Amino acid sequence: MEPKLTYADVESILKIIDGAEHLDEIDLVYGGFHLHVVRSGAGNTRTIGARSTAASASSAAAKPAQTAATAPPAQTREIAVPEGAIAIRAPMLGTFYRAPAPGEKPFVEEGQRVLADDTVGLIEVMKLFNSIRAGVNGIVVRIVAENGGLVEYNQLLVVIAQDREA
Amino acid sequence: MLAPPFKRILIANRGEIAVRVIRACDVLGIETVAAFSEADRDSLPARMATRAVCIGPAAARESYLRPEILVTAAKGTGCAAIHPGYGFLSERAEFSRMCAKAGVVFIGPSPESIESLGDKIAAIGLATEAGVPRVPGSGRLQSPADAEAFVRRHGLPCLIKASAGGGGRGMRVVRRAADLARALDEATAEAQAAFGDPSLYIEKFIERARHVEVQILGDTHGNVIHLGERECSTQRRHQKLIEEAPSPFIDASLREELTTAAVLLARRARYHGAGTVEFVLDDDTRRWYFLEMNARIQVEHPVTEMITGRDIVREQIYIASGAPLAFKQGDVALKGHAIECRINAEDPTRNFAPGPGVLEQWQPPAGAGIRVDTHCHPGYLVPPFYDSLLAKVIVHAESRSRAITAMSAALAEFDVRGVPTTIPFHRQVLAHEDFCAGRVTTRWVEETFLPTMQLQAAPTAARVTG
Repeated sequence: MEPKLTYADVESILKIIDGAEHLDEIDLVYGGFHLHVVRSGAGNTRTIGARSTAASASSAAAKPAQTAATAPPAQTREIAVPEGAIAIRAPMLGTFYRAPAPGEKPFVEEGQRVLADDTVGLIEVMKLFNSIRAGVNGIVVRIVAENGGLVEYNQLLVVIAQDREA
Repeated sequence: MLAPPFKRILIANRGEIAVRVIRACDVLGIETVAAFSEADRDSLPARMATRAVCIGPAAARESYLRPEILVTAAKGTGCAAIHPGYGFLSERAEFSRMCAKAGVVFIGPSPESIESLGDKIAAIGLATEAGVPRVPGSGRLQSPADAEAFVRRHGLPCLIKASAGGGGRGMRVVRRAADLARALDEATAEAQAAFGDPSLYIEKFIERARHVEVQILGDTHGNVIHLGERECSTQRRHQKLIEEAPSPFIDASLREELTTAAVLLARRARYHGAGTVEFVLDDDTRRWYFLEMNARIQVEHPVTEMITGRDIVREQIYIASGAPLAFKQGDVALKGHAIECRINAEDPTRNFAPGPGVLEQWQPPAGAGIRVDTHCHPGYLVPPFYDSLLAKVIVHAESRSRAITAMSAALAEFDVRGVPTTIPFHRQVLAHEDFCAGRVTTRWVEETFLPTMQLQAAPTAARVTG
């Protein structure tokens, strides 16, 4: 049977790494699950790559100092996605962040060119940060979700005009 | 009007119980946030609540069973408390604990109470300490030899149960010694698959058993009271179909014994919130035994509300806010008789197979003494992802016989088309002499009633005439 790493397990691992003074990188292999965490810079930004044999997923996490617990819920109405544009939707309910930490430059701005692997935002679910990738090469047409606001599952976050295939 | 105990509550559930909780909040002036899955986007609770948030896809394990998502939704929408309803996360100590850590009130018992009651072996230990009788049973079985020793001492039949169990899974009745080994193997596999815990225990099996449970309420100040009992013997495969209050089987002195034991147990568990202490009664000897305690609101709570005039969900909310119980045991009076029929989208002519679909017609009964708790409406798509409960029809009358008559009339009026329902089953049960005489035990439906049931196949689609 495939060993399962629970949400709580991952949270504990992150806490251990967070509390460790001289630990910059950890590589954990557990059954078919591979967790690779790297701490870089001043220690408030880290990249997490998690891979399992069944499904491959990777995410980057940062730690904004403040959560938006009391932020007014963003009631984002469904906005029409122009033809040829790609809608990036929330893969989970959580708090949406446009920047890796408060005061830092947003990942992307409207009009900016992005590559498929670029991060366009983060969604936090109880201190766990999930990076949202552009998924396509193109131009950011619109950033719909509000920074620090609650986004629902499948809510529209960002609209990207995809480059035409050459 | 008093200030509401909370400003805003998140409802971490769906279906009729979500509607029920929203209604209780509306009366108290509490705002509600309905947490819904994609399949429930257009559902009645999502429309009734002050606000609704989509928590994930249709599959419950990706939405209603995600504690961290529900807590995040509560925090993100400014909710001070979460009502878990029944099923889903309602009896997960881990969820209660996560709420506390996030500073959100869990409307239910403490994680410690859930843990001590949720594990059946621990709950049985609690009963033993309190001197409450229980069905002769073993502790956790270490080997098949333990089960054999038990059978030698207490005889057959016996019942194998999963320690972490519920809903009939991981359960096996053994009537012949030769069947014991295989039953243990099957129950172990089923318990592991259903609960992730293969632990089993074994009990003496009562052939003619009645299921009677006592509703209790405890506050955070140590007060515990009861709201009388409910009779839930009309079951099929351990799933309750009809519940009533009071029980037609017990008299005042037996009621006194059961309710006293239930309050004693709840006190010992330092229980706060609404809870149910379940007993099994031997129809032949009239002896009673403690079965288990459920740390949540029960599906069948309305029958108790009808005969006591108390709103149990409202009390849950006040208790969670830290308020002491507003009334004492002496203030609780039982009046008349109430019956509840669970109307499921299941076909009784096809072995109760669930039948999701669109409700082409939905006209529930109404009138004096009739209450219908439901999330359904005409045109509603009954999704295939969750349980099949469509509605609970509850009637209240001055006597049991009048309640049976009133329920029969209410169900005759209930017009549902588009999906099969259990309405025809209920109508025949209500007309059966055994049910009318109060002679139903927990295996009556399967052993006596169903073999002689005469139902016509339920129409599954409305016929257009013109």
